[in-house]
Amino acid sequence: MNTRRNRFSVTVTVVVMAVIAAACGGGSSSSSGGSSGSGKPLVIGISLSQSGDFSDPGHAAMLGYQLWADSVNKRGGVLGRQVKLKIVDDASDPNQAVTNYQTLITKDKVDLVFGPFSTLLTAPSARVASRYGYSFLEPAGGGQLVFDQKLHNVFFVQPAPTVNCGDPFVDYLSTLPAGQRPKTAAYPTLDDPFATPIVERARAKLEALGVKTVYSQVYPAETADMTPIVAKMVAAKPDLIFGGTQSLDAYGIVNGLVQQHYNPKFLFLSNGANSAAEFPNKVGANNTEGILSCTDWFPELKTAGNQQFVSEYLAKYGGTADTIDGGSAEAYAVGQVLEAEAKKTGKVDNATIISTLHSGVWPTVEGDLSWDQYGAPKGSQLMTQWQSGKLVPVWPQATALAAPTSPKPPWGG
Amino acid sequence: MRRVTPAGLARGGALTAAGLAFPLLVTAPYLMTIAIFTVMYAALATSWNLLGGFSGYLSLGHAAFFGVGAYAEAIVFTHIGIGGGYRPFAVVPLIGLGVAVAAIPVAIVFLRVRGATFAIVTISLLFIVQLLAFNLRSLTNGAQGMSMAIPPFPVATYERPFYYAMLAVFLGSVLTCWIVSTGKLGLMLFAIRDDEDRAHGLGIRVTAAKVLAFCVSAGLFAMPGAIWAYYEGFIYPQFAVDPLVTIGAVLMAFLGGRGTIWGPMLGALILVPAQQYLAYSQGASQLYLIGYSAVFLVIMLLMPRGIIPSLRDLAVSHNPFDRPAGDGESKPRTSGVAT
Amino acid sequence: MHLIVQAAILGLLTGGVYALMASGLTLAFGVMRVINVSQGAMIVAGAYVSYTLFTQLQIDPFVSIVIMAPAAFVVGVAVQLVFLRPLRSDEREELSLLVTWAIALGIEGILGIFYQTTLRATRPSYVNDSLTLFGYDVSVVRLAAFAASALILALLYLMLQHTRFGRAIRATVQNPTAASLLGVESNRVGAYGFGISVATATAAGAVFGMITPFNAGSHYDLISRLLTIIVLGGMGSLGGAVIAALFMGMSEAILAVEMSPTWASLWFFVILVLVLLIRPQGLLGTSERGKL
Repeated sequence: MNTRRNRFSVTVTVVVMAVIAAACGGGSSSSSGGSSGSGKPLVIGISLSQSGDFSDPGHAAMLGYQLWADSVNKRGGVLGRQVKLKIVDDASDPNQAVTNYQTLITKDKVDLVFGPFSTLLTAPSARVASRYGYSFLEPAGGGQLVFDQKLHNVFFVQPAPTVNCGDPFVDYLSTLPAGQRPKTAAYPTLDDPFATPIVERARAKLEALGVKTVYSQVYPAETADMTPIVAKMVAAKPDLIFGGTQSLDAYGIVNGLVQQHYNPKFLFLSNGANSAAEFPNKVGANNTEGILSCTDWFPELKTAGNQQFVSEYLAKYGGTADTIDGGSAEAYAVGQVLEAEAKKTGKVDNATIISTLHSGVWPTVEGDLSWDQYGAPKGSQLMTQWQSGKLVPVWPQATALAAPTSPKPPWGG
Repeated sequence: MRRVTPAGLARGGALTAAGLAFPLLVTAPYLMTIAIFTVMYAALATSWNLLGGFSGYLSLGHAAFFGVGAYAEAIVFTHIGIGGGYRPFAVVPLIGLGVAVAAIPVAIVFLRVRGATFAIVTISLLFIVQLLAFNLRSLTNGAQGMSMAIPPFPVATYERPFYYAMLAVFLGSVLTCWIVSTGKLGLMLFAIRDDEDRAHGLGIRVTAAKVLAFCVSAGLFAMPGAIWAYYEGFIYPQFAVDPLVTIGAVLMAFLGGRGTIWGPMLGALILVPAQQYLAYSQGASQLYLIGYSAVFLVIMLLMPRGIIPSLRDLAVSHNPFDRPAGDGESKPRTSGVAT
Repeated sequence: MHLIVQAAILGLLTGGVYALMASGLTLAFGVMRVINVSQGAMIVAGAYVSYTLFTQLQIDPFVSIVIMAPAAFVVGVAVQLVFLRPLRSDEREELSLLVTWAIALGIEGILGIFYQTTLRATRPSYVNDSLTLFGYDVSVVRLAAFAASALILALLYLMLQHTRFGRAIRATVQNPTAASLLGVESNRVGAYGFGISVATATAAGAVFGMITPFNAGSHYDLISRLLTIIVLGGMGSLGGAVIAALFMGMSEAILAVEMSPTWASLWFFVILVLVLLIRPQGLLGTSERGKL
């Protein structure tokens, strides 16, 4: 009996000691890697999802970050300091994202941190950054929750909060003669933190315009089969289908409509239809015509540095301009903001970044950005439409490359 | 049966002291964060073990209770307004108690099935709770999630309150497991694990024992959820009621040795830091998943009953008199637990 | 009424595919007491292989089933030999959950390396064609998927009923001890049974890839559904799995149009719990009193 117990105690003790030893070792070594001065590289820590639910957009953001780092280093760095990115994986898990930013800030003592992908990871991560006085320029956390925290270190580097996605569409409809506007609308909505607020906002505005709601349904994220939902929606015969969608469900709605031979006069999908690379091969290229969506970036936009971004991207990663994910542009824009701030103030410390960015206008590939005190951008999103097999920005007119067309032509089959 | 041996006391004391001293020895915040998650999983694995290890009823739905605990904390905070600072910690024991009571009818229903069916059916418990979190919008705010105020703790020691709260729940779980395993309930559970029909035939009140174990286990499992909600500050249905929480707890209990007192903790001490560190340092390559799976397969095939029972077998094989008579394969099942 | 019938048709077609997916899972449990949590990952692997055969070699996904199934059978036999046979029989049921979970993660990791995490969809030319039968829209792919599933299930049934090997499997399912006393080599039956189960998984994967876009992470959703299906049907019962899958498909579709999709899946779980209250062994399962 004694042998057993003793062996067991030894094991436990050894493990506990090992953990403590590792902990102490890690703690002491961290102090050596820290100090930063001019001439030393500017180390920027980023946690991105390289596995799990957000790994796809996480990868796009990583391409954008790396592209910016390469580009700025070729120009001589930020204030003469070469940029070095330290990118770690959070496996789409908020616990891991929190650990990662803690580690980046307190162990690796990175100079700056940039944001992860998705509001779900951005919100808790921004808190960690805020606790240590780090600025938090982030490309992809545009949900209301991020701004509701009232953190002053957050800057969402897109033209508008995610919830405004439907605004340009409603604006466009209001310019149409009454006879061409939709009279009835259906709102299939994914139950997630982004899609639902978009639909609620757009629906209130559309109802104010006199568009009658004939169908409204929230469906869960794990809905495996969209066809019954489409069947019910089709039975209501809406002129407009305004979908609060993400990706799989957007494809499901389009495929379901094609299979059930229903062609609405307007089809707006908040997300999923705005990916030039993905959408056509999920629904068939000939079924995309006339579908509307919203976006924050577009390869042909005449925004600051956009041409350069596109050509650098193609040179580094290959492909064609319309396969560039907007997520890469968003991440690239984060870097641009930092560069502009450094140029303006001559400093790249967190306090200066936080105090500087709350005022002024900051030109990026995403457009000219400005923020309110809690980091919500004050601009507007773009409405895009599939025309002749290509996705083009059609609204607001100031940035549009083509005029929107309506009603939507029949399905290609 | 229940006796406090000097060795047992020393082990418990040493562990408590190590746990209490850790934040004083290690101040780096990122290590404290990893420590919080490690102690959290140690608590979860230990309380899961109370049902899964002692009675053999493998619940894969315990994450439901973790989620209920997390939501209870956020709901109490949002709808009742208990205030910030240290106050949200005060409701944690009440949440544990409440979940344990609420689990009684659940236990009565789910414990009608056993074996693999029980394991799978408990998964549906998890999905039911997750769906409720999505759909009871007025209470849970649905997919939009809930947030809790940032506590005004000083930056340098920000993690400590959360760490000590987790540690308290963990030590409470270990103590509960020890009391159960050395008492009458423990004997009943071990009898159920070995052969439920025979236990029933012997006049053991199997249903009462199972339901009690289920409820205590559920209540203990909910408390780390409540603390986690406060630490994380944000809860969403898919993260609060996450199958990976159960899977993590189960893997740790299996790795360390289910049915033992210290096995689940050992599993957590090994797996959580390894996982957090690997994802941080190696996550960039997809090899992380493959490596994790390979290591796990090797452990399962070489030590199917976990580290502590395997080590104990090793000890036994050097001591022929200690071997259970007439059982070549030496199952330590009836031999109780290491205390 | 039109809407309910339309929903029922759609649900039936989807349920047929789930029936095929679940058949292998319930078979593996019946033969070996193994709960194969990696069944979902194997289905996704099948979907990827079929996708690759289609995009690279223009092999129709339905044709690819014939190519993939024998290969998958061999893989299944190998997995059984290496990972599952070493498990002690008295603990196999529980340990198999964990071992196959690890296998699932491994498959996910390997698929992630080859295909990244971009969603893929197998889209043959007829993917969005649909027929209008008596005023109801029926997608050709779903109809064909349903037919293929039904055909494979029918073959499986015939094999179980009318071949020597099938009888050995059934004997093992009913009473492993008696079967081995009667000369059934349980190891061989187990290996072949698992091989067949993996073969059905890849066949189902080929079909799955046409119905919905997928990536390596899709297996989590799949396996949680499949597990509840085989519990509802009765673990180890092929007929039960088919009935439960069709029931799940139809009830979810009808509830989605009649009530709301957010509550539809909740009802499925509630029904599952109620059924188990009345029949703990599931719809067609044999009593689990005594040693499972």
